[in-house]
Parts: sequence; structure tokens; C-alpha cells
Amino acid sequence: MSCGQPHETDCSEVLSMVYDFLDGEIDAQEHARIAQHLDECDPCLRQYGLEQAVKALVHRSCACEHAPERLRVQIVTRIRQISITYRSTGD
Amino acid sequence: MLLIPAAEGGLPTLDLPGGGIGLGSTAMTDEAAGSGSPDPGRATADPERTARFERDALQYLDQLYGAAMRMTRNPADAEDLVQETYMKAFAAFDSFTDGTNLKAWLFRILTNTYINIYRKKQRQPYQSGSEDLTDWQLHEVESHDSRGLRSAEAEALDRLADVDVVEALAKVPEDFRMAVYLADVEGFSYKEIAEIMDTPVGTVMSRLHRGRKLLRELLQDYAIERGLIPAEASAGGDES
Repeated sequence: MSCGQPHETDCSEVLSMVYDFLDGEIDAQEHARIAQHLDECDPCLRQYGLEQAVKALVHRSCACEHAPERLRVQIVTRIRQISITYRSTGD
Repeated sequence: MLLIPAAEGGLPTLDLPGGGIGLGSTAMTDEAAGSGSPDPGRATADPERTARFERDALQYLDQLYGAAMRMTRNPADAEDLVQETYMKAFAAFDSFTDGTNLKAWLFRILTNTYINIYRKKQRQPYQSGSEDLTDWQLHEVESHDSRGLRSAEAEALDRLADVDVVEALAKVPEDFRMAVYLADVEGFSYKEIAEIMDTPVGTVMSRLHRGRKLLRELLQDYAIERGLIPAEASAGGDES
């Protein structure tokens, strides 16, 4: 997958680093290098866009989970119960 | 139902230590992150510590529950898993160093607890060897890549319903699924995921790589099924 144009950074290198780029796992210098390539290269940009879409989709679909209130109550109850029991039976 | 049948509906059960702490007597002997075998007594009797735990650790309840849902894939088991995670975390809270990453610590206990429970219960095979995808899975992914992808496809994916995405994610092998979840939903760094999953950073990267490729493939199938992507276009058509 390449646009056939010469780039300072090779397409294969960019594609191999697409996740690191997406996840913010590379330093500023490398980030700038990849970003510049994406500006110049449509096929790489499309691939990046797709990966970005999948990442955003996972976040959107899974991030709003709410634990049932009774679970919070159960946990707090058990924790306090443990504390009280051990304080009263302590020493 | 995984552990504690009383988790659904009704009044909360008041389990006493030493009595009915769910799977406590068995699973709690396993490694809670950073502790040997936690003793819920000595470490937790301090009321200040209890208050601190409630204040600091319980704020991650929704997030841990969300992750537990992705692991167990059903609400009853997820509730049990989260409850057990908090009990273990509470028992081991003394070993937690203030100022370090509490959220990652809790996620690590969640992961350990899940692995231990499922290995013990053997309710389903644990996919520890899932680094190796089957040939057909890899073949599917690779051949898809070579077709080339359009930005229209990114837009089509974006129109997928949340339930489809959740369902697709559930089909991704466990280790890959959790790596993707921890990175994309919780925003953990590779290093944090490595600590949570107790695996080298390189393995995290490979799990993310493979998990995302598989997920993308699955999502594209859903998009075709839902008529968001024309089947013939995604099968190699070359519109421009």
C-alpha cells in the first residue's frame, strides 16, 4: 500500500507504527515525522483513519458502562462488615 | 453464575469474614497484585483505612465493572468478579503504595482474579495460548489488508450500533480483547497494560496489533451485514 511518491519516511515504516502513533506511545520527534507522512500520503492516511475509527468506536461503545447500585452497596457493606468484625474481635 | 448466587436482585448479602466470603477461601490465596495471601483482618481493621479505601478505590467501580463485563460477558459474573476484586484489594490495601497507580493496581487484581477463578472453575478454556491465531484467522486478516480500504469504510464503521461493536469485541480472543479494551476504553499506556496483564510490553503490542486487526475485520463484516458497506465494494471493488 503506497501512493508511489517518494517520502522521507517509508510507507511500511509508517504503517508499522500506526498503533504507536494512535496510542500516543512515540516521542514528539517521531510523532512529527509520522504526521508529516500522513499529510503527504493518502493511502497511509486512509489506513490510519480506519484504525482511528475502530479505536474511537471501541471507546464509544464500551466507555459508558455503569455498575448496578446494589453492587456498590454490597461492596461497601462487606468492607465495613470486615472492619467492624475485626475491630470487635481484635486483640 | 460464577460465585455468589445472591448477587442478583434482593437485598445485599452480609457475608461475614471467615464465613461466606464467596470464593474467598480458595481464590483469595492467589496473588492479589503485590501481596502474598491477603488476610482481611489485620490489614483492614483501621477505620481510617476503610474510609480511604472507599473514597479512593470505589471511584473506579464503573470502570472495573465495564472491564469485567468484557471479560465474563455477562452481568451476574461481572458483578461477582468485581465484588471479589474489591475484597481482595481491600485485604491487600496495606501493600499498595500511596501515590502509585491505584487504578492500574485494581485492574491488575481484577485480571488476576478473573484468571484464577476461570482456571479453577474451568468454566471455559482460558485462552492463554492465544498469541497464536489460527491460520484461517490470520489469513482472513491478511487477505483483507491487501484489498485496500476506503475512508468511506471508516465512516460506515462509525455508523455501527454500540451493541454490534460490543458483540464484535466479545468474539475477539480474550487476551487480545482485554489489551484492546485497556488501551482504547481505559486509555492505559502499553507499560501499564503490561503490568496489569503481567506480560512484556512487546507482548502487549502484539496483542493490540492482532486484536485490532481481528476486530476491524469483524466490524467490517457487521457493516456489510447492516448494509453500511456494499458487499461487492468491500470484496475488492475499486471505486475511485
